Amino acid sequence: MKIYIYGIIDFNDNLNNSIKGLGDRYVYNIPYQDIGVVVSNLPEQVLGKIDSDYVIEHEKVLESLMEGFSVLPMRFLTVFDTKENLISMVRYYYNDFKNNLDRLYGKVELGVKVIWPGESIRENIINLYAGNSQKIRISGNSQAMDYVTDKFQEYKTDKAFEEEANSRIKDIDRFFNNFVVEKRLEKLKSQNLLLNASYLVEKEKQEDFKEAFEHLRNVPGNFKYLLSGPWPPYNFVLLSKKSHTFNNLDKTDIFDRILNTKT
Amino acid sequence: MSLNKIVETDSPANFIEEMEKAQSILPEKIDANPKNVEKGLAKLVLTLVELIRKLLEKQAMRRVDANSLSDEEVERIGETLMKLENKMKELKGVFGLKDEELNLNLGPLGDLM
Repeated sequence: MKIYIYGIIDFNDNLNNSIKGLGDRYVYNIPYQDIGVVVSNLPEQVLGKIDSDYVIEHEKVLESLMEGFSVLPMRFLTVFDTKENLISMVRYYYNDFKNNLDRLYGKVELGVKVIWPGESIRENIINLYAGNSQKIRISGNSQAMDYVTDKFQEYKTDKAFEEEANSRIKDIDRFFNNFVVEKRLEKLKSQNLLLNASYLVEKEKQEDFKEAFEHLRNVPGNFKYLLSGPWPPYNFVLLSKKSHTFNNLDKTDIFDRILNTKT
Repeated sequence: MSLNKIVETDSPANFIEEMEKAQSILPEKIDANPKNVEKGLAKLVLTLVELIRKLLEKQAMRRVDANSLSDEEVERIGETLMKLENKMKELKGVFGLKDEELNLNLGPLGDLM
């Protein structure tokens, strides 16, 4: 029997609600000092069958916990062999867990994604430079010079494309600035995915945030917008201690956005 | 118990497509086993060489942009970069590797390719 972890909470007693987790097993709290690790038992045969569909089950447990506690979400598929190993992990990270629980108390994560017409914007930039080709023509006409000219044109195009992206992201981010405590902005994860943003928002400001999203969505243009959440603060857990390898713990950082987890 | 997350968008299909694209450029594990160990190692080494090549190229373009190179220097850099790129193409062909396979997630700096 393994122990499957969902998250760390700011509560060190038994959970009142009956929450079912992976493999239909009840979730319970393992206290350590003034915090708790929310887990369920996981038979090895279930562990062998777990695939990405179980991400939803993991997320449902976290969602239930968020209703009553501050939650540090654990990476999907974090499993320990024994309670002793688990406690040794919590002992190692205790100060980090405590600091994060205090910092993230009463806050949730909201996600905003924005698609822009990246291909046509790049095309416009290329045409603009093509019209001004003499400006970026490098003197000389050897093969090496032609090569540098081509590379330089690509470089200028990329630079202009990034500048355009930065400027648009700044405009979008302005809509949310008044309502957020912290943010993580990822630019151009693909040519068209202009922005993949995570915002840390106080629970009582969620509605203001959503209203700001509606304003943004109504701005005329051909951008596409997506709002998701509230999530537990996946992107805002900061660990001062280096990731440590425990017997059965994944060797990477124990916190991760579960949707990025490959099984 | 059901998920109560809000996902608001007018274009779910576009977002799924773009997220899949973003996921697919995440680095895969080096799959080294006795049968393909050469390719696995070549992939690792060539990815690192490609990273260095791209950094050199970017630095060179910055200097061209800043007009801090003489014509002779631009010529020499162009020849070096061109030869390096050709050699990379040759090696990728030898090991049957495509450009998109030589990718690296550079954390906050984004992806190599």
